[in-house]
Amino acid sequence: MLDFMFIFFASLALLGGLLMAFHPNIVHSAFALVAALFGVAGLYWTLGADFLGATQVLLYVGGITVLLLFAVMLSTRDAARISIARYALMAPIVGLLGAFLVTTGKALVPIVRAAGGALGPTEPTTEKIGNLFMDPTAFMLPFEILAVLLLVVLVGAITLARRGEEDAA
Amino acid sequence: MIQLEHYLYLSGLVFTLGLCGVMMRRNVILVLMGVEIMLNAANLALIAFNKYMLPIDGIVEPKGQVFVFFTIAVAAAEVAVALVIAVALFRRLDTVNVDDVANLRW
Repeated sequence: MLDFMFIFFASLALLGGLLMAFHPNIVHSAFALVAALFGVAGLYWTLGADFLGATQVLLYVGGITVLLLFAVMLSTRDAARISIARYALMAPIVGLLGAFLVTTGKALVPIVRAAGGALGPTEPTTEKIGNLFMDPTAFMLPFEILAVLLLVVLVGAITLARRGEEDAA
Repeated sequence: MIQLEHYLYLSGLVFTLGLCGVMMRRNVILVLMGVEIMLNAANLALIAFNKYMLPIDGIVEPKGQVFVFFTIAVAAAEVAVALVIAVALFRRLDTVNVDDVANLRW
């Protein structure tokens, strides 16, 4: 069952990513991104990360994609164009990077496996994550800094998005 | 049986797809989508490593998941600002093509 779920969500993520990168229509790309992000959320669930899967669906699939679509509607006039020459130029770079990532992954597997760790029964992680956030010896400081960051981003985004004096006139 | 390496291969592949999006597409918003996919691929690797981590005193603390939570929050912040910049760019220069906005390149 877990294997089937992995294959299902993995193909969802891969197909979504492929379509996102190569579809000429940017709105279709955005919807492909939804599929890819949902696939990744499903993969989180197969790894027992229930809280993060839900966060992913709420934040990415629900929030960020809507923001992206709004930005597309506010800015893009013509369908995005793709240049073939650029494909030819980038292909070796992308291929090399892909090969590098796969090799690194392969090299890391025995190290992690030697450290132990088998797939145990999964249990809810929300409580543990919450405790880590509120633990002064663990992640409390980063958590508070994150809150400040989000406030700064809110103010900054509003400031940037406001029309300047010259536009308003 | 699905093992750690499968997740890592998948993470690498998805990351590469995101990189394709970043390098080949010229629309600012699509470049941003590529970045999001790359962040997600990295998150997937983090969670997979966390799942197969060595338990301390018989329990695995979901610290990797906490990292991923931070990544998601910072990515959301990044998207908010970047999209506002894209819209401002379109207002000012009437374009969202990254090749047309190369003033700061060299």
